[in-house]
Order: sequence, then C-alpha cells, then structure tokens
Amino acid sequence: MTRYLIRRAVFAVALVFIVSSASVWLVRLAPGDFVTQTFGARQSRAESDRQRARLGLDRSPAQYYARWIAGVARFDLGRSFIDGRDVGSVVLERAANTAVLATSALVVATVFGIVFGTLAGARPGRALSRIVGVASLALLSMPPLMLSLLLVFFAARTQWLPVGGMRSALGTNGAGDLLWHLIAPTLALALPMAASFERLQAKAIAETLSQPFVLAARARGLGASRLLWRCVFKPSLRSVASVSGLAIAALFSGSFAVEAVSAWPGLGRLMLDALQARDLNLVGGCALAGSVMLAASTLVADAVLVIVDPRASD
Amino acid sequence: MTGLVSRTLTRAVLLGLVTAACSPRETDVAKASLPKQAVFSVRSGPQSLSAFTRQDATTHLVSLLTQSSLVRINAATQALEPALATTWATDDGLRYVITLRSGVQFSDGVPLTSADVVFSLQAALDPASSFKDSLTWDNRPLRVRAVDAGTVELIFPKPYGPGLRVLDGVPVVPRHKFEGALSRGEFADVWSVTTDPHEIVGLGPFTLTEYRQGERLVFARNPRYYKRDAAGIQLPRLDGLVLQILPDQDAQILSLEAGNTDGSATEIRASDYAVAKRLADTGRVQLIDLGPTLSADGLWINLKPGAFAGDSRASWLQRDELRQAVSLGVDRQQFIDTVFSGAAVPVWGPVSPANRRWFAEPEGQSADRAAARRHLAAIGLADRDGDGFLDDLGTRHARFTILTQKGQSSLERGAGALRDQLRTLGLEVDLRTLDPLALIQRFVSGAGYDAVYFKLIATDTDPASQMDFWTSGGASHVWNLGGADQALPWEREIDKLMSMQVAARDESERVRLFAEVQRVFAAHLPIVYFAAPHQFVAVSSRVTSLTPAITSPQLLWAADTLDIAPR
Repeated sequence: MTRYLIRRAVFAVALVFIVSSASVWLVRLAPGDFVTQTFGARQSRAESDRQRARLGLDRSPAQYYARWIAGVARFDLGRSFIDGRDVGSVVLERAANTAVLATSALVVATVFGIVFGTLAGARPGRALSRIVGVASLALLSMPPLMLSLLLVFFAARTQWLPVGGMRSALGTNGAGDLLWHLIAPTLALALPMAASFERLQAKAIAETLSQPFVLAARARGLGASRLLWRCVFKPSLRSVASVSGLAIAALFSGSFAVEAVSAWPGLGRLMLDALQARDLNLVGGCALAGSVMLAASTLVADAVLVIVDPRASD
Repeated sequence: MTGLVSRTLTRAVLLGLVTAACSPRETDVAKASLPKQAVFSVRSGPQSLSAFTRQDATTHLVSLLTQSSLVRINAATQALEPALATTWATDDGLRYVITLRSGVQFSDGVPLTSADVVFSLQAALDPASSFKDSLTWDNRPLRVRAVDAGTVELIFPKPYGPGLRVLDGVPVVPRHKFEGALSRGEFADVWSVTTDPHEIVGLGPFTLTEYRQGERLVFARNPRYYKRDAAGIQLPRLDGLVLQILPDQDAQILSLEAGNTDGSATEIRASDYAVAKRLADTGRVQLIDLGPTLSADGLWINLKPGAFAGDSRASWLQRDELRQAVSLGVDRQQFIDTVFSGAAVPVWGPVSPANRRWFAEPEGQSADRAAARRHLAAIGLADRDGDGFLDDLGTRHARFTILTQKGQSSLERGAGALRDQLRTLGLEVDLRTLDPLALIQRFVSGAGYDAVYFKLIATDTDPASQMDFWTSGGASHVWNLGGADQALPWEREIDKLMSMQVAARDESERVRLFAEVQRVFAAHLPIVYFAAPHQFVAVSSRVTSLTPAITSPQLLWAADTLDIAPR
C-alpha cells in the first residue's frame, strides 16, 4: 500500500508541474498580451513597449518561463499584472473560497447520494426508489453550469436565495450569511454528483444484497434494517470510493463554471479574470493552486479507496 | 427503518420549502433603508485605489466617490463647473489664477491648502502617473505655483482651448499622506488595493471603509465633505454606498431583480431591456432612456499605405469611393431595426448627436443606392459575368473580410447586417469573429486584415481629449497606424485643423474648426458609422434624486446627490 501511495504521490507532483507549466506556456504563446488587452489602441507603441519591459513581457517565452519557474521554486509567484498584488496571497485567499464551496458540495453530494442510493437499492420497485431514480436521471443529464443558471434564475424570481456572491452586500456577514450564500452554488455542484453517487450506490446495494453472506445473515434471522446498515452498507461503498478521485476532479472543473455564474469569489473566477486579462503570473498561480488542490484531493481519494478495498493497490 | 428515514427526509424537505415560502421576502437593499445605504454592482474590482496609477472603470469610480478635483465636467450638461476651485481667471489662455474654496477639510480633518493642490499636480506629472500625458504638451508639462494659501497659479506651456477641462478627474490629494512616497519614488505603490482603507484620505463625498477583494467595496458618508445642496443641506445624502463586484452581466440584472442591488454602476445591455422593462412595469425599477450613446460602432478598411502591396485588390480596396459606396449603400433605418430593434439613431460620422456641443449636422445624408453603385463603378467594380457580384478589372469578385469582436452581440449582429446589405450592392463580404485581444492586436499591427467593425469608446465630449483618434500620429488613429510619416494628404489637413482647434481660445472658433474637421472626415470616411444605440439605465425605485448622464458611470458620477426614498 505504501508503494502504491508513493507512486500516486509522484504522479500528483508531475500533474502539478505539467498543468501549471502548460498554462503559462499556452497563455504566453497565445495572441496578444496584458498590455494590448488593458490599453488596446489607447496608448503609443513606445509606452506599450515600456510597459512590456516593466512586466517582463519583452522576454522570449522560454526566458519568461525560466524566470517564473525559478520564482515558483522559491515560493514566489510574482505580482499580478492587473493590480500589483502578491499572487501567492491572492491565490491562497481564493483557493480557500473554492475549497469551502467544493467541500460543502462534496459533503452534500456524498450524504444525499449514499443515503438515497442505499434506500433506493434496498427496495427496488418501490415508489421512493422510482422517484429517486427519475430525479437522479434528470440531474445526471444536467451539467453544473446549467443547474447553477437555473438556480440563479430561481433565486432572482423568488427572492428566496441570494443571486450571487459569497456574502450580502449589507449586514454583519456572519457564518449564517455565508451558509445562506452557499446554498445555490453548492446545490448546483452537488446535485449532479449526488445523482451519480446515488446510481452507483443503489446498484452496489442491490448487488451486495444478493451475495451469499447476506443470504446467510438473513437466514440467521437478522432484521431488514440491521442487515442493510450493518452488513450490506460498508461493502457497498467500494463503488462510490472507486470513483471519488474522478468525482473530485469533476467537482473542481464544475466549480469553475459555477463560480462564474454565481459570482463566487473563488479560484475559478480568478482564473477567468486572469485569462481574460492575460495576467501571466496570475494564470500560473491559479493553475498551480488548482492542480495542487486536485492532486492532493485525488491522493486522499486514492488512499481512501485502498483503505476500503486493499485490492485497488495492486 | 428505511420507511422512517424516507418519511423524515421528506418531512424535512417539505418543512424547509414551506418555511422559505412563508418567510417575509424583505430584500437585501430594503433591509438597509436605515441608515440610508445604496448598493450598486460593478463588473470588476479596482486595479488600484488611486486614479494616479490606474484608469480602469472601477478605480475611476472609487476616485469619484472618495476624491475631488479643482473643477469637474458636469456629465449631465457636459459643461465645466467649479468644485474645489470657486473661481478662475485668465488673460492670455496660458496663465490661470485659481481661487480655492475656503474651509475645506480632508476626510481626516486636515485643512486643504494650495500646497496640496501644487503637490497633487506635481504627483500627476510623476512618470508613474496615469495623468502625465494629458498634462504635458510637446514634452513640456503644466506648471503650478502657490500664490497664497487659498490661491494657485497654473501655466500652460502652449495655448490649450479646453483650458481647465484637462483637470477634470485629477484628484487633489493630501500632501501629508503622499509626500513621503513621492519623494522616495514609491508613488506607484501608494494606495494600492492592499492598502488599509482607513489610510485613504480624500475630499470626496465618501470614504472607503472596507474592500473585500472579489466581493465588495463599502463606503461611508464623509462628514467633512464640502458640498451642500440648494437647500443648504450638507451632502452626501446617503449614509453609505456599497459597490458589489458581480463580474457577470446576467448576475447584475438578476441581482437587481432579486432586490440584492439597486442597480448597476453602468448602463444595461440591450438584451436586458426586456427584464428591466418588466420590472419597471411593476414599479420596482426606474428604467431611464439616456438617449443615443456618444460612441457608435464603425467600419474601417485598412488604409495603412502598402497594406495591400502585391494584392490585386489594392486598386480598389483603399479608395475613398468604396467607403462612400458603403456609407450610401447601407439603409441605416433597416440596420437599426435589425441590430438594435429600433432603439438607435442613424449616424454618419464619429461625433454622435449625443455630443450636443460638438455635433455638426451632416449635409444631405441619406441612403442612395444608385449613387453607391456609381462610386463602385468609378473604381472599376462592375458585374462582368452577370452572377450578381461585382468584379474587379481582373474579373475577380470584389470581396473582402470584416473582422469583429466575438461575443459582443451588437457587433456580431451589426457585421452580419452589413454583410447582407453590402451583398445587395454586389460586394462579397466574409465575416470573421475574433476574441477582443486577438482583434485589437490584429488592427494595432496594421497588417493582415482588410476591414474591422468595432466600437471605439469616447470618454469625453471635447474633441481635444481625442487627439489620439483624430491626428495621424495618434495611437487610436486605427485606420492608419503608420504614424505621421505615412499620413495621407487629407489626414495632414485634419492634423493641422485639430492643432488649430485645440489651441484656439475662442469657443465659436473651436466649434467652426471642428465642423471643418468633420467635413474633411466625411469627405474621406476613414471610418463609416451607421447607428448610435440608445443607452438605458435601470435603478431601483427607492433610489431618488438621480442625475443621469450619457457618460459612464451614468448615475454615480453625482453620487453625492443620490437619496433613498422613505419607506
């Protein structure tokens, strides 16, 4: 198991390096740059050249990358071209906001997916099972972006939920306010994932229920409820655990879209702003933080899978 | 057990829905009616908290709210009016003596003196300042001197017709806060976005109390603000103002609908008109038609000399007659109906009718397709093979590509309408949409493109502020960025007229010279304009005492007079 986890850790480091380096290279090689984007045709060529020299954009892509990666090695991600802030601290602040959203979505998706999947799988053909199945199918066919648009529209029309942002414009902005603002983006991210967890869990429960050890337990007179939650539940979790790494990756990619729609001030929103402005340092910082979060959570998911099912390390 | 769980869950969900449905739907902004606070949305955070270092829209807005200048341009009347200066006088148009308002204090209680004004203008001329270029003529800066504690003297290096208009938006900042940084060469870092808001001191109607990056800016009333209204009541009327950062325009209009904000700091999109109208019909929102915009979308063909060297289309593509034919051949009313659903006015030049002071009514302009065809025939374009398309002398279709901005619906629709209308003249037009950056880079390079359909934004009404557009060496002289050395004869004529216009002291002479500039422009049409769309703002009905203006920020330029209606 240790060798397996070391192998996965090496893979995670490689993922971080490749993703962040590729982001910097791609944005550097794309047409246009920060100076053109910000000042357009409003300033003279001489002034634009002066700005490029100040930002290091007069160097070749290779030279720029070399300087950037050397900075990363010293934990110095440089300063944002847009507003001069330290990229490291901006990215940390926004990554924390994304982590809040992603974690809450993961918790909601896991709880709802597993509970409803267990209930639906235990009693196939019943009304609850059918309703859950139809709802899951509908949610599975709805990407987080579309769901967040629907929820934002619903929030605007009913005024039951805030339309966007992380805190109210006015007021004390305590934890309750944060939770209130979390509802719509969390549901947008969590519901499609909960649906996929529910389908997997329902199938796993149904399969486990037909295992000989369950029949034996039933023959010994174990009650239906105890049988389900004590004997069947744990072995059935392997299916959900095996896709949790993929689910986390989907969660992060989904959160980028949801943040854009719901004005959640997270890493996705920051990355979008950085890309639009061609802020190379900020793009690199966001890609680095995003890939670190993805790699770390995938590593944790791999570890969980090995704990639930040691055969996975083979 | 499963039944119990499912029953419990169902009850919980139902209870949640019922509770939400029955709870009083008091909106965020309504909850804030005491004290009087307004919430407006902006699309991005400020790049700086000082207008000296950045000029993006939100930094400009923060500066408007927290700082004051000697004079300001009244955005509603477009006229210059006193602010921190009460009077000014000049004998020769070069030397101005300015009297400062007495008893004015910065938000930290320190009195304003002429030393602050002198310091501010010195700071504005710092190499790191964004005002440096506008206060320098032929590398000679504006000079400033304190006459006494309440009077300053400004000396322009050369005659400048707009006079003190150049000082609009240049904040008078506290010397005691900035002096050290300026002398240490750290001016560019002063009042950055990481500065503690309480360190920011100004003479504006509000003070910044909180900035949550990516979320909001919170402003409180400046009790030391110098202005009073006509009834003698001290301004601002609001106790506070919040700028909520909502990068997505859909989120901005939905926030207004949900009552989370009182409106956007800028105009609404044409596509949001239906939602705003519906809200206005219910009485929740005021929908204000500001009339046509100052800037219209325009079509230009690459006129840089040599741009089509080796291209067989060189014989006709850069000719004046082609652009005249395009202008005469496009039915502007049909264009307006197609692109702007009728909510626009026809325009024939770069100065929109919204610019009341400088607009010169064009002579006899109307669509004339017969005249357009004559112009095309004059440059050798005729349908030689009867296929409905005009051909050049080499019997190739008269064909060119228009580039426009991707994702900007009015530009995409406008370019499509032009393609369709020009097709009926026999011109074959291809459209290509590019992302904004690639498009700007393409035309700034002056190579590798035939034509562009784009909007160049005018920020002030006075033509002197747009010298970079009108003169051949200017960075916004987009149709020919070859510089003054490669200027065409009529461009040199415009250069000369604009130089005289900017230097003229007499207002009527300036108007006459600029009308002449517009006449030369119309004769050669380097950019063909078609329509200036109407601009709308939508603001919550609880916000009163509005003074809407055509320039951005349409409502918040006069945030000191805004009020909230009693509940």
